Amino acid sequence: MIRINEARKTYHTGTVEVKALRGVSVHIRPNEFVAVMGPSGSGKSTLMNLLGLLDRFSSGTYVLDNVGVSELSDNELAGMRNQKIGFVFQTFNLLPKMTALKNVELPLLYAGVKPVERKSRAMTALQQVGLEDRMCHHPNELSGGQNQRVAIARALVNDPAIILADEPTGALDSRTGVEIMHIFQELHRKGVTIVLVTHEQEIAAHASRILYFRDGLLVGDEIVENPVDAGQTLASSVKEVSDI
Amino acid sequence: MNLWESVTVALESIRSNKLRSFLTTLGIVIGIAAVICVVAIGQGGRAMLMQEMEKFGTNIFYVFVNFREGESTRLGDFREVDARVIKQVVPEVKYMAPVRYSNMTLRGNQNESSAQVVGTTADFARIKNFNTSWGRFFSEDDNAVGRRVAVLDGALAIDLFGRGNPVGERVVINGNPAVVVGVLEEQESVLGFNSQQTVYVPLSFLQQVTRSNFIHELVGSAASKEDVYRAMDRATSIMERRHNAPAHYTAHSMEQEMQSANKITGIMTLVISFIAGISLVVGGIGVMNIMLVSVTERTREIGIRMALGARRKDILVQFLIESVVLCVLGGIIGTMLGYGGALLIAKLAHWPPLVSWWTVLVAFGFSAAVGVFFGIYPANKASKLDPIEALRR
Ligand SMILES: Nc1ncnc2c1ncn2[C@@H]1O[C@H](COP(=O)(O)OP(=O)(O)OP(=O)(O)O)[C@@H](O)[C@H]1O
Ligand SMILES: [Mg+2]
Repeated sequence: MIRINEARKTYHTGTVEVKALRGVSVHIRPNEFVAVMGPSGSGKSTLMNLLGLLDRFSSGTYVLDNVGVSELSDNELAGMRNQKIGFVFQTFNLLPKMTALKNVELPLLYAGVKPVERKSRAMTALQQVGLEDRMCHHPNELSGGQNQRVAIARALVNDPAIILADEPTGALDSRTGVEIMHIFQELHRKGVTIVLVTHEQEIAAHASRILYFRDGLLVGDEIVENPVDAGQTLASSVKEVSDI
Repeated sequence: MNLWESVTVALESIRSNKLRSFLTTLGIVIGIAAVICVVAIGQGGRAMLMQEMEKFGTNIFYVFVNFREGESTRLGDFREVDARVIKQVVPEVKYMAPVRYSNMTLRGNQNESSAQVVGTTADFARIKNFNTSWGRFFSEDDNAVGRRVAVLDGALAIDLFGRGNPVGERVVINGNPAVVVGVLEEQESVLGFNSQQTVYVPLSFLQQVTRSNFIHELVGSAASKEDVYRAMDRATSIMERRHNAPAHYTAHSMEQEMQSANKITGIMTLVISFIAGISLVVGGIGVMNIMLVSVTERTREIGIRMALGARRKDILVQFLIESVVLCVLGGIIGTMLGYGGALLIAKLAHWPPLVSWWTVLVAFGFSAAVGVFFGIYPANKASKLDPIEALRR
């Protein structure tokens, strides 16, 4: 699915050179749920931007879904982003003037899907994240958790090969964070490949594999034997609440 | 993403910023309205001018001595019989009349006044489309036997007799009494060609009064508008032959007059439209300015769209279409305003309200072109943004 080899990224700001990635090689297989952890400034977001084809490596190779991406043109990269990748951002990045439904339709718009099919597919995606009754709301009429669910619906509406989520729970309280993880786990169960950046061990514990970064280097790569089931956490916390 | 969807996206973004969109396009609105107004005024004015001139008869032509070549009119240059001969010989000539002008003092039963005296034949009234409100114009017979009769124009009748219908009264022309046989209907004209008070008398009578056979010119009318030039040519050559005076005569027609008037009004309309068009350019700069602001403001939106798969071309087209839609909306409002203005002016000036479909079409085309021209730079700037940089905003 994803194979990067000796990936390096160096930012040049004036006279200062920042080596954000200093030779990273990873292989992520289909239907893996990978959490990426590491201290601030360790290069996690840099990696996500590169995986998401928003930026180009300084050196190294990147094969996504059997396509070597280093030689692709801007237009081809846009097409790949549209077809193969779904983004979920910490700050949601929804268009404020559009309804939830319209926001979810956007990737399909650029994929050239006809309006009728676009609408029905967007509705299905919103159903998958449990927002079928909020489709005509604008982002400012929705809670943070709901907005993030709209963003997830938008990320998965095009059936991407991989969903990239950079601190998707960073702006949410812990319970809402677990709800979001519940959605990710369900998508994972249905076969979606997910790479997720987080600072919180509890969040990372929902994944099937954890990568650790420090100073632009991959310093740890472990399989999670028994991932936490967000569905159970939610069920038991509901029980706790009803117990009180 | 097809064109129609791009237009929908542009309309949505315009709708979500109504006031600003309106203010942005105001320059276009004013520019288009101004151009449409100016063109309508020009065309309305021209149409009115033509209508007026047509009232005097488009078939009319004059044969006179070629002053421009330094010739001057002498006694005997024109004779009454010349007019009759031309009318008989040239099929394109329908009517032909000799004319003698003079200024004399006229006395009625109320007043004395100086007026222009026109000595001519009965054909003159047919050439000029005269109608009488009272009585009749004088006849061939009146002229043949030298009857002392006169036809007054309406204003002169009131001036001399204090009433509109002095038919049968005596009018004294330079001491020579004559009988009023008719009063002409007022020929309405905004142009004021007929402002001088005039009395028409048989040529033979005027020749008696002045004791001279002098004739100033011949006036004729062609069978049709198309025949005017042939009629003029043949009339002049007949005159030259009969008087054995090559290049002594020339002719001029109302048609020529109209053509030059047409040309002048056309050029004036063009010049003023051009000036009004400058305001369109200013409007376009306003649109470009706001589009640039909009690109800066919406950098994040652009980043998001790019992350979701928008190609640079999609972003370019989105902003370009937004600017074109903005300008065309301005064009629509401007056309309506301009049309309203043109109607109002036409009503006030009693002109035919003329807003031709091609004016509207050109206005639309032009506002769309302004949209493209001034939208391309901001749109290009938007499409050149770096996706991550844009997302960081
Ligand atoms: N556009 C840029 N220009 C210059 N330096 C940059 C740029 N983006 C990131 N960096 C630098 O690259 C390094 C890695 O940044 P990155 O955003 O990947 O960290 P991160 O692991 O996501 O941190 P955090 O957990 O705080 O989000 C940092 O030192 C950062 O200052
Ligand atoms: Mg980060």
